Amino acid sequence: MLDLARSAVEAARRLGADHADARVVRETTESITVRNQEMEGIDRASSEGIGIRVLAAGRWGFAATARLEEAEIARTAELAVRIARAASRLPKEPVRLAEVEPVTGTWHSPMQEDPFAVPLERKIALLVEATRRMQTVKGLAFAEASADLFRRRTFLATSEGTAVDQTVVHTGAGIQAIAVAEGELQRRSYPNSFRGHIAAAGWEHVERLGLVEEAERTAAEAVELLRARECPSEVTTLVLDSGQMGLQVHESIGHALELDRVLGMEEAYAGSSFVRPDDLGRLRYGSPLVSVTADATIPGGLGTFAWDDEGVPAQRVPLIVDGVLEGFLTSRETAVVLGLRSGGAMRADGWQHLPLIRMTNVNLEPREGTLADIIGDTRDGIFMATNSSWSIDDKRVNFQFGCEIAWRIKHGRLTEPYRNPTYTGVTTEFWNSCDAVAGREDWTLWGTPNCGKGQPGQIARVGHGVPPARFRDVRVGVRG
Amino acid sequence: MPGPFGPEEFARVAEAALELPGADGVEVLLIHEWGGLTRFANSTIHQSTWREDTDLRVRVVRASRIGVASTNAFTPEGAREAARSALEMASVVPADPLFPGLTPPQPTPEGAGLDERTASASPDERAEGVAALVAQCPPGYAAAGAFETLGSEVALANTEGQRCWAPLTQASLSAVVTGPEGGSGYAETVARRVEELDPVAIGRRAVTKAERSRAPAPIEPGRYDVVLEPAAVATLVAFLGWLGFGGRELIEGRSCLSGRRGERVAADAVTIVDDALAPGTIGVPFDFEGTPKRRVELISRGVFVDGVYDRRTARQAGTETTGHALPPPNPDGPFPLNLAMEPGEASLEEMVAGTERGLLVTRFHYANVVHPVASVITGMTRDGTFLIERGEIARPVRNLRFTQSILEALANVVAVGRETELASEFFFSASRVPALRIEGFAFTGVSDH
Repeated sequence: MLDLARSAVEAARRLGADHADARVVRETTESITVRNQEMEGIDRASSEGIGIRVLAAGRWGFAATARLEEAEIARTAELAVRIARAASRLPKEPVRLAEVEPVTGTWHSPMQEDPFAVPLERKIALLVEATRRMQTVKGLAFAEASADLFRRRTFLATSEGTAVDQTVVHTGAGIQAIAVAEGELQRRSYPNSFRGHIAAAGWEHVERLGLVEEAERTAAEAVELLRARECPSEVTTLVLDSGQMGLQVHESIGHALELDRVLGMEEAYAGSSFVRPDDLGRLRYGSPLVSVTADATIPGGLGTFAWDDEGVPAQRVPLIVDGVLEGFLTSRETAVVLGLRSGGAMRADGWQHLPLIRMTNVNLEPREGTLADIIGDTRDGIFMATNSSWSIDDKRVNFQFGCEIAWRIKHGRLTEPYRNPTYTGVTTEFWNSCDAVAGREDWTLWGTPNCGKGQPGQIARVGHGVPPARFRDVRVGVRG
Repeated sequence: MPGPFGPEEFARVAEAALELPGADGVEVLLIHEWGGLTRFANSTIHQSTWREDTDLRVRVVRASRIGVASTNAFTPEGAREAARSALEMASVVPADPLFPGLTPPQPTPEGAGLDERTASASPDERAEGVAALVAQCPPGYAAAGAFETLGSEVALANTEGQRCWAPLTQASLSAVVTGPEGGSGYAETVARRVEELDPVAIGRRAVTKAERSRAPAPIEPGRYDVVLEPAAVATLVAFLGWLGFGGRELIEGRSCLSGRRGERVAADAVTIVDDALAPGTIGVPFDFEGTPKRRVELISRGVFVDGVYDRRTARQAGTETTGHALPPPNPDGPFPLNLAMEPGEASLEEMVAGTERGLLVTRFHYANVVHPVASVITGMTRDGTFLIERGEIARPVRNLRFTQSILEALANVVAVGRETELASEFFFSASRVPALRIEGFAFTGVSDH
């Protein structure tokens, strides 16, 4: 397959491309959903094709096809060059690329048990049992369990001599309990919402999650929420669990620090960023407890790889250090604008799409203590857990999140549960109000497999290693 | 340039799956798409792409046990392999007691068909359109957006004898123009044919908005009367489609409209239908299990009529499928892809003139569900938000966050626009909606721009 990628690159070069890269990508997925001990759906999908990206006349062109015959690949390369030349109709400085050393090699994300080789009966039996255990809780309407497997093999060749073959395997599962009453619906998820906890690992990851063991507690909380009071509207101290912290970092730090957004390249769709290039080294993004790193090297993350889709080696890039902005997520094209080398964040959603700057594993570095310590140290406030809703403005300033459950913290203890909790804030004010970040013990590397960006729309699989944290003077219980 | 495979080629490939031994039933669904997208930002083209892909999806039934496998290899071997994989799954999974059987043979309506020029639009044509749009920007203003031209075909065959095939096209051109002192404006056209797009008009409209929204003033959150332009209304209607009209949610008590059939849920002026065959939309003339599409009234003069169903949920509800199945396995149930709100009689200017104090909203951004059963969503305004005072646009204001029940908003509609616009969130889904004037819309926060 590397030969096919190389032949596409050569074809593009013969047609006058100044730079070319080609990715032959093979993807396989399996998705299983069980509800109330019955099958909701099972599907397997496979996809294979080639995406060819060229620089010609100083502009990008990209074309992709699923037909992997020589003639079709040559035609697609020609189309990519034509697309690049058509773009030069409008004036623009020619695209320049940051230097990168050509690389060759093969890499596979680590795993113990290939999830695709695990017998289907075993996978289904686990999910059925988890729903059965949830259904033992009286008053539960729906008990759902799901498993998702993903394998992507990428053969990348570039006109600079890079030729790599890399495979990632992601495996995950989760359960969800849904309780319904007149005009009310409550759900609790474990280990996290939106299909659970997905990691770069094999089936062993699913077996360690404890889906069956946590089923009854999860179901009982969903039913209990039907009787709980609404989260009150107030300005208070807010403690967030690790699951919600993942989304908070994702929306208000990760996306805001993508350098293509900062440079206006995503303006038309999901928007730009309040951060400017010259904020680097100056902007106090958060309190001194807030240090955030984009780390593509950490084992187990959905944003972990050996090389990005431009052939740039995986790196650990500090974004915020002790509260101060120190870096961006970058590509070769954007890094050179700031006189930097690429941080290796370019990834494409399969062969059909051109690479964009995507989060790798954007992690909030752990500090000290545990979630219990933070709650124990809080006189009055609210603890929220497990994301249910998210929204942020087009410059990543004003955000609002919803969680599945909250509890009142009184004198260091969790007391009354609340349903439908929400909170809202402004990005830098919020992060500067952070006065506690838990340590490694409660730090979890979550997978976010559904990050949308770009036109045509692309979905990226990214990671967030995050501990629980505390924020002061936050508005909770948003009501219309 | 590629085009559709056509019904004969599809039949040849599908046959390899349909003849699978050991299955009680087999269904083959093809979704084939091709096209280009020219993306621009900072008034120049920065990302320009073309792609072609197929999704050949095979559903196999064995003793009410169902497996689904898909491949993008559009060959008899690919179809056969997917069928084998689906049968393997169907052999080990628990049965679906509600499985209603595959769709029996029946005629499906003619679709709008393929527009050749759209299906084969070149990168030069798209670049020319972008250049014409960008040329509308005065000094100090910059345009960003996307010009997309797509062709597609959808085809279905099953062992009951149902056969369907339809080609279609879609073209869209959108622009966000930004200017000095925080000015920002938006315009978009979505159509079946590329010749319906007017890049100059789209550019001018976005520029005018950006000029008028320069230096937006701070504003306090609270309840405001609003005039929502069609792009903003499309967000409310699309989310109502998700939270309200799906047959599965209705049956299970998870819809904001569960148990409310025949009840008044919106103002008298509000009528919402789903109609994939309407001339002003972009729709497939059958659903993804082969049931012919037809017009379905969802809310009629403010009264909730019923939702949409596929074969499985129709069986559960004791009714007929309305032709709204999504591709299998689809745990989410049926979904209305071609919503339309019927127009009223007011012009946008009249709606503004009828507002004593309120806000004119161009569009919403990044909306999401807060409370599904109460139909509460949140999101931001974007690209042109204006304060209306004494029936006139007084000044631009900074963007606001809304947290609002959709049904409450529709109950508070006091005027419906006479013009409608087509908005498309994703391919195969398009809503045609007018502007609305709504009283007491809840804004719960503000941004700094």
